[in-house]
Amino acid sequence: MAAVSIKNLSKRYPGAEALAVDSVSLEVAHGEFMVLLGPSGCGKSTTLRMVAGLESISGGELAIDGKRVNDVPAKDRDIAMVFQSYALYPHMSVYDNLAFGLRRRDFAAAEIERRVREVASTLGLGELLKRKPHALSGGQRQRVALGRAIVRDPKVFLFDEPLSNLDAALRVGMRGELIKLHHRLGATMIYVTHDQVEAMTMGDRICIMNGGKVVQIGAPLEVYRRPADTFVASFLGSPPTNLIPSRFNSDALHVGEARLPMQRSSVENPIFGIRPEDIRIHSGIDSGAPHAHGEVLAVEPLGAETLLRVRLAGVAGDVMVRGPRSVAAKVGDRVPLAYDLASAHLFDPATQKRI
Amino acid sequence: MLSRAFLFVVVALYTVFAAGPFLWVATMSVRTTTEISRDHYAWPEIWHWEKFSIAWFKSNYQVYFENSLLVVVSAVIVLTVIGSMAAHCFARYRFRANRLLYFIIFSAIIFPPQITIISMFQILVQYGLYNSLPGLTLVYIAIQLPLTVYILESFFARIPADLFDAARIDGYSEWQIFWKVSLPIALPAISTTVILNFILLWNEFLYAVVLITDEAKRTLPLGIQRFIGDTMYDVGMIATGLMIAIIPVVLIYAFFSEKLIQGMTAGAVK
Repeated sequence: MAAVSIKNLSKRYPGAEALAVDSVSLEVAHGEFMVLLGPSGCGKSTTLRMVAGLESISGGELAIDGKRVNDVPAKDRDIAMVFQSYALYPHMSVYDNLAFGLRRRDFAAAEIERRVREVASTLGLGELLKRKPHALSGGQRQRVALGRAIVRDPKVFLFDEPLSNLDAALRVGMRGELIKLHHRLGATMIYVTHDQVEAMTMGDRICIMNGGKVVQIGAPLEVYRRPADTFVASFLGSPPTNLIPSRFNSDALHVGEARLPMQRSSVENPIFGIRPEDIRIHSGIDSGAPHAHGEVLAVEPLGAETLLRVRLAGVAGDVMVRGPRSVAAKVGDRVPLAYDLASAHLFDPATQKRI
Repeated sequence: MLSRAFLFVVVALYTVFAAGPFLWVATMSVRTTTEISRDHYAWPEIWHWEKFSIAWFKSNYQVYFENSLLVVVSAVIVLTVIGSMAAHCFARYRFRANRLLYFIIFSAIIFPPQITIISMFQILVQYGLYNSLPGLTLVYIAIQLPLTVYILESFFARIPADLFDAARIDGYSEWQIFWKVSLPIALPAISTTVILNFILLWNEFLYAVVLITDEAKRTLPLGIQRFIGDTMYDVGMIATGLMIAIIPVVLIYAFFSEKLIQGMTAGAVK
């Protein structure tokens, strides 16, 4: 167990104009499960690989347990990493794959045997120890890759999109197992993913990255409820937050033809952001008048809920509304809509930041 | 059904095409030249197995065979080690002029041996290696290295980089990673180059005939040439010599191609 401290970490690849990672700062506490989340190419994997010691650090400082490790080679950082491709040694049995790292570290044969057997039984690999990786299913390979990390009992676990090669059902199962594993080991883990569901469900905190920079760090629900900018608002959540250009006139915010009683901000024409679930279909029992009326363009029943794609008068793009499963609206209907203004956000169109 | 029959005919024809000459030489190897000149294609009436011992002991084949074995085996070992190390580096490490160096080595393939042979001769004479088995070995290494590196590099390049990263995190040095990860995974490709280099060098004639003059230093292909005199061809003994020369090739192929197939079915890197 260890804390990982990242200060202004930067990476510039030789010959590249832009920084792949641009002054990333992040404190990962003892036993914390930190998720680095972002679209592909946002620098999250590069950041992880710098922590692992697989990429050289171009600038900034990296410390594990308070000790600067910028120039410490990967093998001496006492970290373990699980790769997206599993990276199992194809010529070795499961047993040897698990024991490979221990053998290098001069453990006694009996100790290696004990550890490998213990980890194998925890992960349900006991029967498979003699098999080669090619004779395993995707889920089993994933477990071996995980086992190879656990067996070393490292200070820090690093995960580089470990679940993205699994099919959907297996992924949900492994997600649960990783959460359990984290609770059981209490180890510090840094987990890279582009999957917001993984980030939301697994992370103690999420660090959202874009264009090599950290955009927002916080607990999953905190980041979800109070996105720092339009990028986070639209990246987290499916369907994403509706972002609608708006403008203050007298005391109301004009969103399309709607007049919303919102606190006037310093910005005249903010971007109005509201999540699909914060737009309700106005019904008779609601108090007050509906904020707007929209024409239903598409109805997407998902079973537990129904998504409506709606066009609002005076608004350029479509707006997504998350309704209950009982929604009766049909394509072409005009539906009254009410915004939950307490959950809405305004963003500055110049900086894209939340106001 | 028709296509199966067609395939059978094609395979049968090809087998006759490939195995026919081999069989013919095999029959000639146990017939005397006089018998052969009477009827080229006849089945042996008396099986002259003694021709093999004559070739081996009386015609110096033992020496040629040992020379060939020494030169070719050491050349193949050095080629495999150096070639795979070079291929590993070209495939794995980003460094300045990586592709340039690779291209320079690879481009040596396009030159026919006749172009380099005079300069090789000069160099060997200068270093006192002319007419010596180490000299011939070095030349064999030099001429086969580009192809070896080329074949192995493309295979090493297909090994996922994650494996190396995993081994680095597992605590292994670059040197150990080469021996414990790269090399075992590349075994199928290495078998290919071993077979290829062995067969090519075992049959190599041109460099050997130019660079070796001593009777005691001749390799097998030169030994076979011994039976070709100014006035007569001892066809029977040539055939016997050929059969002796072929045996190691068959053995090496049988052994390494087994490995090759094993490697290919068990490899599946991901």
